[in-house]
Amino acid sequence: MKWKKTDITQYTEAKEYIDTVLIPLMPFEMESDTHLDVNAFQYEWTMLLVNELEKELTGRMMLLPPYVYRKPIIQEQELKRIDSWAKEIKKQPFNHVFFLTLDGGWKKHEEVLPGTLLWLPGMKSGDLHSADMYRFIRDQVEQMSELIQSYW
Amino acid sequence: MSDKKQQVSRRQFLNYTLTGVGGFMAAGMLAPMLRMAVDPVLKESGQGDMANVGLSVDDITTEPQKVDWKITQVDGWYESEVNRSAWVFKDENGDIQAFSPVCKHLGCVVSWGGSDEYPEQFFCPCHDGRYYKDGTNVPGTPPLQPLDVYELEVRDGILFLGDAVPREGA
Ligand code: FES
Repeated sequence: MKWKKTDITQYTEAKEYIDTVLIPLMPFEMESDTHLDVNAFQYEWTMLLVNELEKELTGRMMLLPPYVYRKPIIQEQELKRIDSWAKEIKKQPFNHVFFLTLDGGWKKHEEVLPGTLLWLPGMKSGDLHSADMYRFIRDQVEQMSELIQSYW
Repeated sequence: MSDKKQQVSRRQFLNYTLTGVGGFMAAGMLAPMLRMAVDPVLKESGQGDMANVGLSVDDITTEPQKVDWKITQVDGWYESEVNRSAWVFKDENGDIQAFSPVCKHLGCVVSWGGSDEYPEQFFCPCHDGRYYKDGTNVPGTPPLQPLDVYELEVRDGILFLGDAVPREGA
C-alpha cells in the first residue's frame, strides 16, 4: 500500500491483512554542496528502493511518507520524535515497523528505535538509471523483502 | 459629438468580451473531446501494444521463469517507465503460458516454488496464498481468482507480451 487515497481506502477495508509499515529515514542537510549532492542522490535511491519493495509486498505492507531529519547529529530529541511517530502508527493495528535508511548514523541507536532498522550501505553518486544500478537495487530489494518476510 | 465618439457603449463592450471569453472556454473544452473522437493515436496511449520481453521461445522450458521488461505508460499527469514481469513456461501441451505475478488477493508478488512445502506451486509470501501451475488459485488460501494471463505473441521466435487479462474465478 502506498500513501495515497485509493490505497488507504483499500487499507481501511482490509486492515486485518496489512500489519506492517515501512518508513524511509531521510537525512536533510544543506550546509555544503557535496552534502546536498549526496543527500539528493541518496533520497532518490531510497525512494526507488522502498517503492520497489512496496510493490513486492503491497498486500501486507504500507509505505509511509519519509521521516526527514536534520543532520549531522542524531540527538536525544530526534529519538523522541521518532518514538512519537511510532506511537502514532500504533493507533492503527500494525504489528511490524520497519525503518529503511542509507544513513549509518542510526545504527548505533538501533536498540532504542521503536521498530526494526534496515540499514543499507549506499553509494554516494552514480547513475540510478543504468542497467547495473537497476540490477544492484533489484538485488537489495529481494534481500530486504526476504528479511521482512522472516519477521512475519 | 460625444455620441459619435462613444461608438461602443459600456454594455456592448461587456457583451463582446463575455462572448469572446465564453467562446474561448467552449473551444477549450470541446477541442480535446473532438481530438479524442478523431485521433485514434490518443486512444492507444502505449497500452495494448505488445512488447518484446527479450526471451527467445527456445529458452522457454516447462519450469516457470521470471521475465522483466519495461513499458512506457501515460499515467494521469506524466509519462513514466513501468516495470512489468511475468512467469513464463511451456505447459504439458507445449503451449507457452505467461502469468502475471500479481497476487489476486491484495497484490503482492508471487513466486514459483516460493514455499518449500509446495515447490510445484506459485506462492504469495504475504498471506500464504497459493496457485497451481496452471494459475488457478488453491481453494482455502486467500486469493479467490486465478492469476491474470498475459496476451502473447511469438514473432520470429521471440516472445512478445501485451496486457495481463483476468480469468474467470475458480
Ligand atoms: S496478497 Fe497474496 S495472499 Fe494476500
